[in-house]
Amino acid sequence: MKLVRKVRIKNALGLHARPATMIVKLLLNCKSEVTFTHKRAVINAKSILSILMLAATKNTQLTVTVDGDDADDIMDKLVTVFENGFGE
Amino acid sequence: MILDSQEIMLKGTPICRGIAIGKPFFFTIVEDSVPEFSIEASEVEAEIARFHKAVVKACEDIKLLQKRLQKERIFDGVAILDAHLQMMQDPLLTANVEREIKKSRKNVEHVFHGIIKEYQKKINSINDPFFRDRFKDVQDIFRRVVRHLKDNLSMGLTDIPPDSIIFAHDLTTFDTAEANSNYVVAFATKEGGATSHAAIVAKGKGIPYVCGVDIELVETIKDVIVIVDGRTGDIILNPSKATLTKYQQLKDQLQLHLQKLTQTGSLESETYDGYRIQLSANIEMYSELDMLHQLGGNRVGLFRTESAFLSRETFPTEEEQYLIYRKFVEKMNGMPIVIRTFDLGGDKYLRNHKTEPESNPFLGCRAIRFLLREKEIFKTQLRAILRASVYGDVSLLFPMVSSLSELQEAKRMLEESKKELAAQGESIDSHIPIGCMIEVPSAALIADLLAKECDFLSIGTNDLVQYSLAVDRSNQALSDLYTPTHPSILRLIRLVVSEANHHGIPVAVCGEVAADPRFTPLLLGLGVHELSVASRYLPIVKNAVRNTSIVAATKLAEQALKLDSASSIEELLTLEYRQNVPEDCFYNC
Repeated sequence: MKLVRKVRIKNALGLHARPATMIVKLLLNCKSEVTFTHKRAVINAKSILSILMLAATKNTQLTVTVDGDDADDIMDKLVTVFENGFGE
Repeated sequence: MILDSQEIMLKGTPICRGIAIGKPFFFTIVEDSVPEFSIEASEVEAEIARFHKAVVKACEDIKLLQKRLQKERIFDGVAILDAHLQMMQDPLLTANVEREIKKSRKNVEHVFHGIIKEYQKKINSINDPFFRDRFKDVQDIFRRVVRHLKDNLSMGLTDIPPDSIIFAHDLTTFDTAEANSNYVVAFATKEGGATSHAAIVAKGKGIPYVCGVDIELVETIKDVIVIVDGRTGDIILNPSKATLTKYQQLKDQLQLHLQKLTQTGSLESETYDGYRIQLSANIEMYSELDMLHQLGGNRVGLFRTESAFLSRETFPTEEEQYLIYRKFVEKMNGMPIVIRTFDLGGDKYLRNHKTEPESNPFLGCRAIRFLLREKEIFKTQLRAILRASVYGDVSLLFPMVSSLSELQEAKRMLEESKKELAAQGESIDSHIPIGCMIEVPSAALIADLLAKECDFLSIGTNDLVQYSLAVDRSNQALSDLYTPTHPSILRLIRLVVSEANHHGIPVAVCGEVAADPRFTPLLLGLGVHELSVASRYLPIVKNAVRNTSIVAATKLAEQALKLDSASSIEELLTLEYRQNVPEDCFYNC
């Protein structure tokens, strides 16, 4: 199953080290392929260095694509952390 | 501010004699020099495994650090380290490294460094300074991983420019062992001592070494000519023309003297009145045997077996050891070689060997004590040596014996090993001679008891001095108390020799003093039968033997035994040597 959703970064500091760590840890045991698309860049969301390299600041819009068996579950969790501004 | 024309003189403690002129090289952060070399297709998998292992170890470091921060309630720090953990295990980074190793067939340090540099470029192109700062994190994880790569593969002082004078806070045995004497012309360190194992290695390589040097001061002045005088401990930065000429001449004079010495190879090691003494070599590495042969040496008095394996993580198997010992024995072409069993503990450990931390390792479980406890390790080594013994003239030597029962127990295990091997149909030398090291005062005082139980004694003066005088041989602050000329040491040597003579077995001296030509007449006069020194000292010691007589040496020993202080004895020895060998400016300064 392939799911695509748009999310907005809400926390003040953007996708810096702590939120990126949170995302990567969340995806540790996930079977699906997960990518973030920002402008023309498509990156592997399981790679913290790639996430950081997006240098995504507050209010940036990302396209999240989850493709795999557990896509439903993963997409839910991802959207939640983005919505909560990574608890910041 | 230093003026261009100003000559700066620093004073340190001389450790290894000789004169060097060169440029300073600061050996501080290992990560700064990234080695590059090609690997074979067959080594690719191992190289990748090396990377993974280093990452695992670096992660363990971080987790440990996290625990500490957690305790100190520095939660921000814990979170940052969490990010580092993820970066280190980043699947894309790992995949990149693996792919690049396969593609370029280069070592992982080089590949990893290249990839990190790519990241650096990308990060630098980010406009937001907040994100650009993240590069410090990436750099840090690189450092952490590379540190562990270095643990797996010896790296460090191997790739440096020629004529380098190494300035470092401290040097390990590995650092000095790795140093290429074609490039490294001298060492200057803040810490360290004359008989630390690092210093012994430096001496073996003939690289001048001065410690107790204020290296921070030198760090502010980088691009200057430096002179290191390993005789006096003087370090001269930015020397004047006159100084430079003077040292250049001195260096040439020494070179000439040493060159003349190498021609002593074919000569007998006998005094001018015809008294012969056995000269032998201490060796650690296979390559040293070539030097021994070139110098006309005909015996190895001490093969330090642990050195062949120190960089390993685990103990070598019987077969691995057997093959190595056999190679050494065969290279000797029937000339005698004394193989000493592992002297581990103290400051020498295998890298991964787990030992209980000891508050005083030199008084702890080292050498024979360790071997008698780790019976499997001991027996494995004994079996390997026994099997190699049929390929030449091999003797066995037990390190750091402090009581008779230890020697007896070691002998019992040797007999057991012989029986086992015989039962397996292995051919061995069943009459292999056994020697006992005298490194502890208690052993020297019971030399009569030990002499009854073995075929020869070997005095290790470095430890004997350290233990007799209760002076840590690597403690810089006490270096003036570490005196091999202390009257107690002379008395102990005399006692050991006289007991050994009584039981009709020979005595060797294999410590640092054996290599100091000023001691040669004294040791001859005390009745020592054999001097075992690092190969490069064979000519200088032989020269000292040939320039004295047994009559004069005996008188000198008698005279020295009457003196009451280390300094007066040292003075006597230096004076005698200056008379015997006036052209050697090594010791006559």
